[in-house]
Amino acid sequence: MTRIYQKHIALFSILFFLFTSCEKELSTSPTTSVSEDKLFTTVENIETVLNGTWSYMNDTYFTYANPGYGAILRTSDAMGSDAVINPSKYGFPAAYSFTQMQINNDTRVSAFWTLLYKVIDNCNNIITKIDASTGSQEKKDQIKGQALALRANSYLTLATFYQFTYLKDPEAKAVPIYTEPAKPTSEGNPKASLKEVYNQIITDLTESQTLLSKYSRSASAKYKINTDVVKGLLARAYLNTGNWTEAAKNAAEARQAYPLMNASEYTAGFNSLSNSEWIWGHGQTTDQSNASYNFHFLDVSSASSYYYSFMADPYFKDLFDANDIRSQLFLWDGLAGRQGSLRYQKFKFRENQTADIVLMRSSEMVLIEAEAKARGGLLAEAAQRLNELKTIRNASLLDVSGKSEADVVDAILIERRKELWGEGFALSDILRTQGKVVRKAFNTGGANPGPVYVTITDSQGKTAQVPGIGHSVLVLPDKTPFVANSPYYLFTIPELEVNNNPRLND
Amino acid sequence: MEFFYLLRSRLLSALLLTTLLLLTSYSVSAQQSRITGRVLEAGTSEPLPGVSVTVKGSTNGTLTDADGRYTIQVSPNEDILRFAFIGFETKEISARQASAVIELKQANNTLNEVVVVAYGTANRSNFTGSVSSIKGDQLESRPVSNIARALQGVAPGIQSTAQSGQPGTDATIRIRGIGSVNASSAPLYVVDGNPFSGDQASINPNDIASVSILKDAASSALYGSRGANGVIIITTKQGKRSGETRVGANFSQGFSSRAVKDYNHLSTDEYFELTWEAIRNNQLANGVSAANAAQTASRTLVSSLSINPYGSAFPEPVGLDGKIISGATPLWNDSWVDELTRTGKRTQADINFSGGNDKSQYYISGGYLNDEGMAIGSGFKRYNARVNVSTQAKKWLSAGLNISAANSKQDYPQSEDTQTSNVINFSRIVANFYPVYKRNADGSYELDPITNNRVLDYGDYRPSAASPRTNLVGTVGLDKSEISKDNVSGRAFLEATFLPELKLRTTYSADLTNQNDHYYTNPSFGEGAATGGSVSKSNYRTLSYTINNILTYDKRFNDDHHLNLLAGQEFYSFNKKQISGSRARFAFPDFYEPDAASQLNSFNGYSDEYALLSFLGRAEYDYKSRYFFSGSLRTDGSSRFSPSARWGTFWSLGASWKASEEEFLKNQSWLDLLTLRASYGGQGNDNLGIYYAYEGLYAVSNNLGENGVVTSRLATPDLKWETNLNLNVGLDISVLNNRLGATFEFFSRRSKDLLFKQPKAPSIGYSSIDANIGSLQNNGFEVQLNTVPVLSKNFRWGLDVNLTHYKNKITALPQQYVDNGNKRLTVGGSIYDFYLKEWAGVNPETGSPQWYRTDADNNKVITTQYGQATSYIGKSALPDFFGGITNTFRVFDFELSALLAYSVGGYVLDRDYVLILHNGNSPGRAWGKEMLNRWTPENTNTDVPALSTTANNWNSLSTRFLYDASYARLKNVSLRYHLPKPILERLKISDLSVSLIGENLLTFYGHQGMDPEQVIDGTTYFRYPAIKSVSAGIQLTF
Repeated sequence: MTRIYQKHIALFSILFFLFTSCEKELSTSPTTSVSEDKLFTTVENIETVLNGTWSYMNDTYFTYANPGYGAILRTSDAMGSDAVINPSKYGFPAAYSFTQMQINNDTRVSAFWTLLYKVIDNCNNIITKIDASTGSQEKKDQIKGQALALRANSYLTLATFYQFTYLKDPEAKAVPIYTEPAKPTSEGNPKASLKEVYNQIITDLTESQTLLSKYSRSASAKYKINTDVVKGLLARAYLNTGNWTEAAKNAAEARQAYPLMNASEYTAGFNSLSNSEWIWGHGQTTDQSNASYNFHFLDVSSASSYYYSFMADPYFKDLFDANDIRSQLFLWDGLAGRQGSLRYQKFKFRENQTADIVLMRSSEMVLIEAEAKARGGLLAEAAQRLNELKTIRNASLLDVSGKSEADVVDAILIERRKELWGEGFALSDILRTQGKVVRKAFNTGGANPGPVYVTITDSQGKTAQVPGIGHSVLVLPDKTPFVANSPYYLFTIPELEVNNNPRLND
Repeated sequence: MEFFYLLRSRLLSALLLTTLLLLTSYSVSAQQSRITGRVLEAGTSEPLPGVSVTVKGSTNGTLTDADGRYTIQVSPNEDILRFAFIGFETKEISARQASAVIELKQANNTLNEVVVVAYGTANRSNFTGSVSSIKGDQLESRPVSNIARALQGVAPGIQSTAQSGQPGTDATIRIRGIGSVNASSAPLYVVDGNPFSGDQASINPNDIASVSILKDAASSALYGSRGANGVIIITTKQGKRSGETRVGANFSQGFSSRAVKDYNHLSTDEYFELTWEAIRNNQLANGVSAANAAQTASRTLVSSLSINPYGSAFPEPVGLDGKIISGATPLWNDSWVDELTRTGKRTQADINFSGGNDKSQYYISGGYLNDEGMAIGSGFKRYNARVNVSTQAKKWLSAGLNISAANSKQDYPQSEDTQTSNVINFSRIVANFYPVYKRNADGSYELDPITNNRVLDYGDYRPSAASPRTNLVGTVGLDKSEISKDNVSGRAFLEATFLPELKLRTTYSADLTNQNDHYYTNPSFGEGAATGGSVSKSNYRTLSYTINNILTYDKRFNDDHHLNLLAGQEFYSFNKKQISGSRARFAFPDFYEPDAASQLNSFNGYSDEYALLSFLGRAEYDYKSRYFFSGSLRTDGSSRFSPSARWGTFWSLGASWKASEEEFLKNQSWLDLLTLRASYGGQGNDNLGIYYAYEGLYAVSNNLGENGVVTSRLATPDLKWETNLNLNVGLDISVLNNRLGATFEFFSRRSKDLLFKQPKAPSIGYSSIDANIGSLQNNGFEVQLNTVPVLSKNFRWGLDVNLTHYKNKITALPQQYVDNGNKRLTVGGSIYDFYLKEWAGVNPETGSPQWYRTDADNNKVITTQYGQATSYIGKSALPDFFGGITNTFRVFDFELSALLAYSVGGYVLDRDYVLILHNGNSPGRAWGKEMLNRWTPENTNTDVPALSTTANNWNSLSTRFLYDASYARLKNVSLRYHLPKPILERLKISDLSVSLIGENLLTFYGHQGMDPEQVIDGTTYFRYPAIKSVSAGIQLTF
């Protein structure tokens, strides 16, 4: 019987183990995500949502051609008059030829929409939940104020690119507005009018300004929103809506702490938050460098740049005086494969392949102030502001005498093109001012135009004459000339939204 | 939860009660006697060792020894002895007659053989479920490094597509259609009894004894939650009770190349003329006069391509008439395809020792494989070892342990995606007039002044469409893209027989994989030259283990009633840990490790846990071995779901009727077997990709040294299992002494409560939410024919044919349609229905590309604006039917077998091809031959638009680039010669054979250049195409 006894022991011990397995092993938790119920308890935790939203906004790759928010700015420039995009370069030729932002299932079209609204939803979480959290009121004010401004920036971007200017038709339906965080049951909202969107923007920014009044950021942390950034955003919003007084006032205040840069800073590569006139930007380090990928498109002079797509229109060069410090940045490219393209060597990678992204700087504020003054009829003051910038750039000054308002505004708009080239204002200015894209073939003109030969220096130091390369897309995709308020200038709403938001056009 | 505890406690009491009852009735029946006998192979009269000899309806059994002899205790007047051996027909004979010699016939067909099924083995003819089986020797002649790649065409119901020819890669397997939309549709792999989570490529196909494919509910429901998409059971070889050690050795050497030729390219002359035309046309479109446009084109042609292969004598090689100037000939025409491909070599060597006695058996093997790919820099090298041992420790206790270890190194240069470093795509898109080695203007090679060698041309000057600053011929050898894997798998079991009828089997299995990826870009040449190079290393460690305890009770009552019960518990745990980091800037070449680089770019890591707790039971009953019934029940708790939705219950019912055992058919000599089978059941699927599918989550997203998180997932506390309801009805028939066997099966798989990414308006902040919404079905049939048209002493011809047809149909959706890339899901459509802009041809007047658009009045009109074109639902990527045809011939000592796999119907969207079909807007990018047919005023009836240097979207994705996916491929041809018996006997070896094997030798397909074996959803992705290979081998056994 010993054998049977052994077997019984074995059987019962195994059966015992059989039913002692722990069910608690079934409770697991992620290591790279945080559960939402843990987050909104303290203001410190909520601050992580703000930080995460910021890094999401700037450092998310949708594709290599869409590295974060910077890609929206690049697209704006590719769809303007002054950047020549080589048609065979990766990234922006389709935008440049106006055949991309129309296609509602295009990756870029859905990327921009997703990016802007995800920022809005995260901010909505912060804004609606922060009051109930624990923590100091001062910190709460700071985080809430920053979230309000960040949300406003998304709405401002949406209002800029998804509908014609407010000044054309404030009642035009633009984009949906959300101020509550998404829940599992949330459905899409209908499009709101531009008026409603701008009301939201101004309300948010005004509240933000109050909440941030006691906040001061460290000088190196220009990616944090303070009242200067808020005022800059207000200046943009008021400029878009034609409130010239407020635009001028806010622009003037926004730039106070940020003196215009000098010539050597201007040629340093536009890659550093430490630049004296940057008000707002995104910092990059070697371990957080996705946004730096923008420079593979912008940087046309570093050997490490992959695409060097943003060349300048040769006619753009003609806008500068010879002694203007900015004109030193032009160079006819002599490298094999790109000979005859016109570099505007404004943007350069840092040595370690990173580059900070500029989002707002005082030159823009000067120009907003000047434009708002001019449009408000204060031509002398406008010229004074414009000349302040021109002086430091060593450009010929504007003599206001005998000039009409339109002349002065034109001069300011040209200065905007010159000063802000590559920073994302090309298409937004065309939309805002109801202007049109101007692109002209680079040739000798006349009845039988031929190529314009330019002098280049190749890598061996030999000079040669090659045809200069200008714009290759000179008309809209339907072969008609560029016109003001062309629907081709607008960003279309992605198919995913159209299909899954039945109330979109209600 | 309540339910679970209730179930558990009930199960427990039931088990204990049964056990006690059984224990009290423990006794040895009377009138037993010992009989001995011998089992031989019919025809050859060779002894068959390892045949299972059992008393039918009991667990009393033994195995034959090396001479085929056995001894067993029986009640001679009552018992029936059953002789079963994998690959042979099972034989039953009354114990009275059994002392004689028994001859077992090799199974001519697979209908009456022993196959491995869930938690045990079964005779196929007695099994209520649907299972296909592949024997080890069918795999031995396949020069594949990954078992999944050997499954195409060999069995019905299984779709296997090897989407990459990169050595060591696997194949995508789908069993009876596509079971899910957003959750996994991949089958469960089981190795030696327990679920396998290791690396498939670590298993040496030569160690495999059999592969079973479980296709319906009755066969796979016991795997419950993970069986929804079918189960592939791999069983490795075991030693035989032969008394002596058998040594087997195999060696083979092969050569490989592309299976299909790449797309045809334009010649240099054609290319220059067409580029000239593109520039000219663009000038004309900008209003320039014809004469000036031609002049500009002639003048700027060379600068737009940045090269003049015609030499400095012809600075403008194309004249004003658009033709190459007479006398101008290209001074070189390099072939990037030739430079980046080679004849790959494949060497495989295996040795194994096996043997054992009545108590213990063992199988020990070692293998070496070196499989070089046809693309330079690609390859797969593997060392593997296996020890399988089992022992009858006590009369009532047996134990066994299988351990396998494998180490592999895969050189995996980028071979998908459009990245510049993709060796396949690069060779396809760079025009051949860009030299591989630097040329002087006169066409001679530029030589290095010091070494006097040719100098690689990295093409700094090339236009961006021709991948400037890159020469993979040079950098593939300098860069690294290396995946090292270690895999250790163990399967241990302990089986106690408490009563002849009652057994408890406890198994513990573990799979440990360690994967180390090493990517390095050199600092001297190519892409990394400007930035000092970079390196990234990642390490992934996965450990999974399964513990189960299975109690079985098997009893025959009054001869006619046979009952088999199974109950058990299983726990599965999976753990994954990952760390990775990257650095940049090397000071010196030939230093590959991160320590040698100065700039830290990233350091990351995470881990994941997944666990599954299960309770399972099965009952099988048969009456007179004629009527079979089975039922199973399993409840699973998954860590993926919230505690309240975690538990799911899965079940199956099956029945079969072996009509050929009925009196009225039993004596029909022409009929060997006739069985009708049916089963129904529900299985589950929890694999929706993420492991934590219930909470609202924020993903970590730190910013510049400060902690950050961002929304990533909406809370779904009610999310639960996806259920798959499977109906199977089958008929097996075997006639004419098993010369003709056939299986017909009809199946209907209905998936409900799909784990679905329900789309949301992205403006709310989320583009989807996980939900149990929607249902789909896969209905179809399978036919398998196994025939032996000729059978004589020295000539045998076997012909096996299988065919599967299924229709995938979505039956419910949360909304009218759901878009999924270039597919659109609609009720009534299939999961892979293309949703594309519809090509409307080239306008014969203008040469512009055109598409269709639905206007405001719902009319279908033509547009030349791609952006305004409407997408329409169209053809499906899924084939109408697919299968395989296998011919085997044995003539004297030669064996020849050929497997033709086919797939008919379905469409492929060829994204690879469109890269070389630009309209002239990508100068320098190679051009497909089809461009010669572009629109010109003389050639207006064409499908290729007029050329221009301005993009016109014509090669953007549209139905223009959908191609019929039908193909047939001669997957495998193997010719083997066995040395004749007398010679072998003189040499004192048991077998020596030589073989010649061809893989993918012929491919029949319609669209030149594209490898027709593409991903199941029918979209190409710039992948490494299939390779064909020829190899010679020698197999020795002594």
